[in-house]
Amino acid sequence: MTTAILETPNPTKPAKQKVVLCEGNEAAALGVALARPDMVAVYPITPQSSLVEHVAKLIADGRMDADIVDAEGEHSVLSVLQGGALAGARTYTATCGPGLAFMFEPYFRTSGMRLPIVMSIVTRDGITPQSVWGGHQDAMTVREVGWVQVYCETVQEVLDTTIMAFKIAEHHDVMLPVNVCLDGNYLSYGTSRVELPDQAEVDAFMGVKDVNWHVALDPLRPMAVDPLTGGSGGKGPSTFVRYRKGQCRGMQNSLRVIEEIHEEWAQRFGRRFAPLVEEYRLDGADYAIMTLGSMTGAAKDAVDEARDAGKKVGLIKIKTFSPFPVEALLKSLDKVQALGVVDRSVGFRWNCGPMYQETMGVLYRLGRHIPSMSFIGGLAGADITVGHFHRVIDATEGLLTNPAPIEPVWLNEKD
Amino acid sequence: MGAYNTIAFDAEKCDGCGDCMTACATAKTGTTEISRSRIQIAGNAAEGFELALCRQCGDPKCVTVCPAGALGKDYASGVIDWDGGKCVDCLLCTVGCAYAGIALDAGTGHVAKCDMCDGAPACVPACPHGALKLVTTSRIYNEVGNWEDLFAPGLAGCQGCNTELLMRHTLRRVGPETVLATPPGCVPGMGSVGFNGTTGTKVPVFHPLLTNTAAMLAGIKRQYKRVGREVNALAIAGDGGASDVGFQSLSGAAERNEQILFMVVDNEGYMNTGMQRSSCTPYGAWTSTTPVGQGSGGMPSQGKTQDAKNLPLIMVNHRCEYVATASTAYMEDLYDKLDKAIQASKRGFAYLHVYSPCTTGWRFPTDQNMEVARKAVETNFVMLWEYNPRDGLQFTRPVDQPLPVTEYLKAMGRFRHLSPDQISHIQGKVVENLAFVKQMAQRQSA
Repeated sequence: MTTAILETPNPTKPAKQKVVLCEGNEAAALGVALARPDMVAVYPITPQSSLVEHVAKLIADGRMDADIVDAEGEHSVLSVLQGGALAGARTYTATCGPGLAFMFEPYFRTSGMRLPIVMSIVTRDGITPQSVWGGHQDAMTVREVGWVQVYCETVQEVLDTTIMAFKIAEHHDVMLPVNVCLDGNYLSYGTSRVELPDQAEVDAFMGVKDVNWHVALDPLRPMAVDPLTGGSGGKGPSTFVRYRKGQCRGMQNSLRVIEEIHEEWAQRFGRRFAPLVEEYRLDGADYAIMTLGSMTGAAKDAVDEARDAGKKVGLIKIKTFSPFPVEALLKSLDKVQALGVVDRSVGFRWNCGPMYQETMGVLYRLGRHIPSMSFIGGLAGADITVGHFHRVIDATEGLLTNPAPIEPVWLNEKD
Repeated sequence: MGAYNTIAFDAEKCDGCGDCMTACATAKTGTTEISRSRIQIAGNAAEGFELALCRQCGDPKCVTVCPAGALGKDYASGVIDWDGGKCVDCLLCTVGCAYAGIALDAGTGHVAKCDMCDGAPACVPACPHGALKLVTTSRIYNEVGNWEDLFAPGLAGCQGCNTELLMRHTLRRVGPETVLATPPGCVPGMGSVGFNGTTGTKVPVFHPLLTNTAAMLAGIKRQYKRVGREVNALAIAGDGGASDVGFQSLSGAAERNEQILFMVVDNEGYMNTGMQRSSCTPYGAWTSTTPVGQGSGGMPSQGKTQDAKNLPLIMVNHRCEYVATASTAYMEDLYDKLDKAIQASKRGFAYLHVYSPCTTGWRFPTDQNMEVARKAVETNFVMLWEYNPRDGLQFTRPVDQPLPVTEYLKAMGRFRHLSPDQISHIQGKVVENLAFVKQMAQRQSA
């Protein structure tokens, strides 16, 4: 398991940042409080529960001024927030696994209505087989629904990204809901040192709240929200296409906005996170392994050890998974001759990891063939250790000389 | 706008005693000469009695035929006034009236007619048999007629449907400071949220999902409360979305006592999608998913095989701020409940269950909507009551001598196939449901 790897605070910004020791779920809650939402709706589910408990306590203690709705299920959780957002509220919730599945009906609709709701996914594997432990299967299953999805590596990144997520979602060029994905168990319960930004600084960073300028349910400016459209007659087809194209444009715009906001964050708070794709020791590498989320810590350790042993390996980490950062990833892939992609979930259709499947599409655009293979590990809370990553590195190195296997490698198969 | 209060006459209750005429003569002439009464009862016990009385017509022939301009409709009170200063005693009006509602008063030598005694007719309380009744339904129209209709003309409801009436009246009453949720079903099917960006609704309106109406409204209401704005959160939903797939969010919002007015328009099925069964569909009813057929193994298919879910009683068990059943056949009752529901929704969850006979899905002629709605109440198939946590459950229109349920069933094609056993099952359920609600009324008011 990886523990948080803290960035060095910017010495030019000694800042008024407090240092606290907390788990990822609490860090997310603290980030939410700093972002000052008007409304939070909650329903507990493992491993998200302590996150919403922390939010509830922050509100109960007067450290956060938000209306909390203890809804009767995730479906209503998101629905309450949709109503709140349409009335102008900044809104937040968190869920995972079966809760996300139950939420799917309003989930799909949130991006269509362009509501800038922020929701943490404390990622959990899909059932069945029955399990309550971490894995990316839940978030991966809904990757094609028009939400921006970013994955965090450390507890500090959870806190910082949670705040940034509101600003990304509410950016006028985006206006889309954002999932901040933090790995169940590994980040949710992993405790580490966290720097807590100053409230006034966060307020200045966030700027003026403007949530429902584009779509509102408000007697002061009455409108019919989401009238029937589509079909094959009248303005139906063109209207529907206009909505859908707008969603796609918002997704593409978010790539630029995510970069800008991460840069602004780095300037203001001194912590710099790769917004879309992170390269780690990629310069001079012959081949790379690719990671997502908290597994990256162990992967970086393994890469360091392999480099020390003379292997020319680098690492590519995806932070922004949706929209898939095609252009940024192309630049990184162009530096290597072989690629091993490690997923924490499965893609049933292609018999490989979902991130591998997405990456294959990018590889096609590269204009030259590089051999690649898929690794699947860390399902349902299993650990992906430095040892596992050495196997990944060795197998990926083998692609330089041997034909690539069609089957994925299941890292925890013999654990 | 005009008032159209009238005196209604129930011939079956009249025994020709003449007390009404005495009361009128006393009030209007200071005598007991019933020939001078402006209400006249004619006929005999063997052939029955008839009423001769001014109906205060909306399109009065007496006014039209009067050459002197002595008669006129007062559009504020609804009463047709006679002006003695203009009258030339030609008596043409007495010929023009089809109801013998204006006649010569021999005592004065002029015509005389009912003037409704300034809204409290002397004849009505004088009747010892309850044969005369002041029908004041028009009070509603007087009150709301000048309020803005918050839907543009042209809602695309089925012919004969009462839902358009319900929507227009409800919105008028609730007013423009409202956000309206119309989940998938007949209400948005009629165009309330519009098509391709054009809508006829003048308040903010939206399609929630079929499943999340109460939850979305809760979010809207809470945010306006947070910022200190008084905005009504109103749902006009169908029975299917409320009782079936949307029940969880409805129950959750009721339990949290969200400040919402949730109106269910119960047409006992998924009528907008083609008349499929819902859990509010009554036993024995034909629907497109409980069709009638010969079945197999000698077991014919005879409509729905389960009884309806009683959603309003379930809502009572949430201890909502207000729960009531209502019918568009009894608009006064409905309006009283609407007013109470609006007030209750400022404190917590208010639920109004309005029965909506469906000409298309229930299979009856388009001019029979109100009659079907009325028969449902008169047979106790539907009971009109209201509930609040302080006063408990109370009947608002008790029917002590209900008609046999067949009077209701025979009005519709959806029950045409019923066997005698099925009919007796339904009659038995009516009795059972009545006993249950009565028990609840006694228990909760005790």
